[in-house]
Amino acid sequence: MTRVWLSLAIAALFGAPTLARAAEPARVNPTDQPLFSRHVVPLFSRLGCNAGACHGSVKGQNGFRLSLFGANPALDHALLLREFSGRRLNPFDPEKSLLLQKATGQVPHQGGQRMGPESRDYQLVRNWLVRGAALDKVEDSRVTALKVSPSQQTVQKGQTYRLKVEATFADGTKEDVTDLCTFEVVDKDVADVDVTGEVRAKGVGDTALVVRYGYDPVVAMALVPRAGSEPFPSVKPNNFVDEHVLAKLRTLNIHPTDLCDDATFLRRVNLDVTGLAPTPEEVRAFLADKAADKRAKKIDELLGKPGYASLWATKFSDLLKPNSFNGNYGMVEAAEARRFYEWVRARMAENIPYDQFAERVLMATSRDGRTREEWFDEVMAMAEENAKQEPNLVVYSKRQTLDLYWQRDNATGVKGTLQVAHAFLGLRMECAQCHRHPHDIWQQDDLLSFANFFMRVKGANYPDAKTLPPKLAELMKKGPEDAKKLREDAKKLTDKAKDKSVKLDDAAKMIAEAKELEMKARMLTEGPKRFGTEVQHSGERSNFASMSSPLGTQKSEKFRLLGDKAALTIGKEEDPRAAVVAWMRKPENPFFAKAMVNRVWAHYYGRGIIDPADHLSPLNPPTHPELLDALAKGFVENKFDLKWLHRTILLSRTYQQSARPHETAKNDRRNYAAFPLRRLAAEVLLDAVNQATGGAESFPARLFLPAGARAMEVAGVTGAENDRASLAYAFQIFGRPVRNGMVQCDCERDPSPTIVQALYMANHPQLREKIAAPTGRVAQIVKDHTDDAKRVEEVFLWTVGRLPSKDDLAVSIEYVKASPSAKRGLEDLMWGLINTREFSLNH
Amino acid sequence: MFPSQSRRDFFFAGGTGIFGLTMPQLLQARAAAPAKKAKADHVIVVWLGGGPPHQDMFDLKPNAPAEIRGEYKPIDTNVPGIQIGELLPRLAKNADKYTILRSVGINSEKWEHGGGQYWLTGNPRKTGVTPAYPMYGNVVSKLRPAPKDVPTFVAFGDIDNHAYGLKQNYLGPTVDPIVFQPDDAKSEVKGMLVPPVGLELSAFDRRESLRQSLDTQLRGLEDPLVGGMDKFQQTAFDLLRSPKLRTALEIEREPLKVAERYGKNSHGKRVLAARRLVEAGVPFVYTHFESNWDHHGQNFRACKDKLPVLDKAVASLLEDLSATGMLERTIVMVLGEMGRTPKINKDAGRDHWGTCQSVLVAGGGFAGGAVVGATDKHAAYVVDKYYPVESFGRTIYHLLGIDPDQTLLALDNRPHRLIGEDTPLIKEAIA
Repeated sequence: MTRVWLSLAIAALFGAPTLARAAEPARVNPTDQPLFSRHVVPLFSRLGCNAGACHGSVKGQNGFRLSLFGANPALDHALLLREFSGRRLNPFDPEKSLLLQKATGQVPHQGGQRMGPESRDYQLVRNWLVRGAALDKVEDSRVTALKVSPSQQTVQKGQTYRLKVEATFADGTKEDVTDLCTFEVVDKDVADVDVTGEVRAKGVGDTALVVRYGYDPVVAMALVPRAGSEPFPSVKPNNFVDEHVLAKLRTLNIHPTDLCDDATFLRRVNLDVTGLAPTPEEVRAFLADKAADKRAKKIDELLGKPGYASLWATKFSDLLKPNSFNGNYGMVEAAEARRFYEWVRARMAENIPYDQFAERVLMATSRDGRTREEWFDEVMAMAEENAKQEPNLVVYSKRQTLDLYWQRDNATGVKGTLQVAHAFLGLRMECAQCHRHPHDIWQQDDLLSFANFFMRVKGANYPDAKTLPPKLAELMKKGPEDAKKLREDAKKLTDKAKDKSVKLDDAAKMIAEAKELEMKARMLTEGPKRFGTEVQHSGERSNFASMSSPLGTQKSEKFRLLGDKAALTIGKEEDPRAAVVAWMRKPENPFFAKAMVNRVWAHYYGRGIIDPADHLSPLNPPTHPELLDALAKGFVENKFDLKWLHRTILLSRTYQQSARPHETAKNDRRNYAAFPLRRLAAEVLLDAVNQATGGAESFPARLFLPAGARAMEVAGVTGAENDRASLAYAFQIFGRPVRNGMVQCDCERDPSPTIVQALYMANHPQLREKIAAPTGRVAQIVKDHTDDAKRVEEVFLWTVGRLPSKDDLAVSIEYVKASPSAKRGLEDLMWGLINTREFSLNH
Repeated sequence: MFPSQSRRDFFFAGGTGIFGLTMPQLLQARAAAPAKKAKADHVIVVWLGGGPPHQDMFDLKPNAPAEIRGEYKPIDTNVPGIQIGELLPRLAKNADKYTILRSVGINSEKWEHGGGQYWLTGNPRKTGVTPAYPMYGNVVSKLRPAPKDVPTFVAFGDIDNHAYGLKQNYLGPTVDPIVFQPDDAKSEVKGMLVPPVGLELSAFDRRESLRQSLDTQLRGLEDPLVGGMDKFQQTAFDLLRSPKLRTALEIEREPLKVAERYGKNSHGKRVLAARRLVEAGVPFVYTHFESNWDHHGQNFRACKDKLPVLDKAVASLLEDLSATGMLERTIVMVLGEMGRTPKINKDAGRDHWGTCQSVLVAGGGFAGGAVVGATDKHAAYVVDKYYPVESFGRTIYHLLGIDPDQTLLALDNRPHRLIGEDTPLIKEAIA
């Protein structure tokens, strides 16, 4: 792939596709005069010879190696000559060449027969051999543009059409390369494509078709409307979101469903915005409210609640991964995770513009504009809090910047860059550490040149006494000595307290005093270790990004932003991170705003407009490009106001639809004809269980949470599952991410259902206890109400947030009456409701 | 040795290559093909986290110098010509039931503890940038789930320590094992697997029918998520309704005499529970026979403590499975991450040694009364019939009737060959 192609691809990234018909290029028959890099290597790619599991493997296969996906034709030629020299690659008697004999299966080939002996493919390789098996000028055959036509096609079910692919090369020539391409269809329910590029429409919807010529990919779209002439319903769009969604539905001729009822909306929007189900009181008030704009008012109300900030602090923690704080540098994992989370939560609560949020994370410095001495005071204060096991969360959350982000292990350098690209730009770049992923555009040089912006930030280290001011160097040296004395004193006190002649009161005082001394000792040893964690720009250091892998070592000394052609010049004293932030907040930035808009969309709909939501790539086109553009544009124009973004999506008719699709849209999963069902996130589900049952989570002390806190407020990791703590176990089985700094994937939070989840909901001892607790919800309801109908109603409201239907009521009352006691009957009712789909899903 | 028929099928069905979307077609093709004949229906893994000392267990070298041969002597087994360590007397009486692999190893010093992943998955990669390979049990869960009223894959012990691939592997969480301590009466996970005491089946069913009549809001939606949840919930209820699992988990039902044969310690109890679960129909049980087989110091004292415990538990397991005929269809494997250095260090310990180790395999199509391969006079290097770990993985899958060359898709759709390398089966170990 080439730089030119890359920039073209970025320019066209997610833009509205246009129906273009390519002019018929001059058709040279490549089988007559094949060139190695232009024809033979792409043929290897098409046949799969250079794939990772075959000869593209670093070790090759059976002694013969090719460059992965044909990235390096010159190397491939050299390897071919080496492996197949002499009779093996025989221009004088090409049919005897081992290359052809293996590929046709005439001699045993582990990869089987790849081509027929009479095929065009065979002729191509044969003719290349006959003409001398030469390596052509690779540079001339560099692809400068790859065009597929039609780039978008509407086609009726059952019909077919052919894709044509035209390559433009660096020497200015163009060629029809269709026969050398591979074709893949993304949504196989919509269409099939065969090896010749013939597309057959199978089902209603639209799909991307990924076409690859050699190393270079391009995408086309196929759209298959539903047959049928029922008039499209006249639904009124609430805002531009609906206009785009309805336009697509109209094109596909599938109908949107009706709005959901008020109780469903209330539960849905509460769970989605605050992570908490509504209380019966809220449900009753909302149902009784006759105002026409009550949904809009509710959305505003919820966006102002603390739950909103907690939920998005959790979402950002998934991305920014508050863990891997090094104890050797005086940091305490759980306390730092808590500080980190509270800092993010405070920013969400004040609704900081998203570009400023990014700036205050990415540009973080420990000093925050203060003197070094003032920062050391903060360090010692934190050490004291850690020693007391009482982190002062308010103080840290008032900091201007989040230096903890850079104090994590692997936050800087190439690994840290992967995380920045993922968290803020919605890009997956792990593969680019070694090679370009066949379904993406990034090469090693793109990653390394971008990583250089993050090579000059200094993260956490053990303090170097030489660089410390004398007073602090002294403290670092003396601290542990003083601590030793304090510990000795503490021990004397405790020993003394054990003496039977000492009065009990005095002994208690001594023990308290000893504890105080031990705490001070901890602070004196741990505090100075943290002097080396100062996050700062270190201009004088000039190491550049490099990466070694089995495929080789590569280094970049350029500062180049992703998708840019030209490198930037960054002075030694400049903090290069500033250039990244300035680039991100530019309205024309192709990733920053879109990535966030797309992630917020995915939060509400379970899938991104680009899906997966963290895979922005021209080869992964959006379902609704104009909508994504409009949302991103509006987000930027509204100064990156996150609540504007939430409000716009929530106010749409699309969000407020029923989950039950119109019959024309039963199989649709991509076009929002109905509200998509989603399993509640681990934290939301636990909080919903506790709210329903009146139970509470018992949090381990190390999580630093106040009593009565919600699962949503847990900051860091919770420990291994073999802790008997049900919180950690539930988090694990319901897919709360472990936030591994080495894994960049939104899929780390796993929403898939499992058998163990079903067992947990049906039969976990703690859940059973919560339902039956004498202080629980059911017990309270039995105490507060005497009428069975009223009791049943309360149980319904607390669990599924709606009133029981007539049938529900009849069945439930009958069940309660037939039970050994009303309490037992109502416990079963609550168990039953907790185990419905309705409870575990947002619907 | 490599080009099996199935591998060629792979390429034909794959059509255009390894990456991308031809793989589902391939999988369809594979589903249509008749399954290979399985010799084993069950697997019990006894995992010795760390590296058990092969020189003191299954590959003794009495003629080596004292600083190598160690303190223990070989004893005869019930199979003429096969000797094992004196601390394994009951296993010695059962040598006709198992095969000792002496010529296997991760063949590299650098693996050290990462070798655990190698042995449990048949593939050599540590976790890091990409998700781990799945353990054999996860693959069985994926490809050969259990009959409806028992779980497919159960794991005992500390699976977060020196065990690899059981969780967070590329197949995703739906095939994770259910993890608990069968001998821990307070285990909440165990509590989750059996209905609460006092809840009669009729009450259970009555409550369930109430639930069904209330679970109507989302009925009739052809949604894959609802479909999946329905299926899993049904499986969960079947499991709770059935007496099979409940009964199997009541290890205290086992006569005292039997429990004593296995050893009245947590390890013996877990192996006993493994047998009971397999008898109830559970396809795969993994038991972590403690993590601390890492005798850098005081190796001989540790052996004296641990080997008799292991000996009792595993010998009893083999005896019982053999007596009921279950051994024929049940693979039992006893192994750790690596071998240990021939030379005894200054702390009377043996350090990490990846070049060779001993593995015990029995049942499910494995031969009995055999030894495969040999090491040199110091039990340091393989001198006969070396097999890499991939061969071990392939042999396990072969006996399970699972094609090790098939491609599985990771959660992110990246295709993975089940066992990446082409290596021969350990045919000498197969009955």
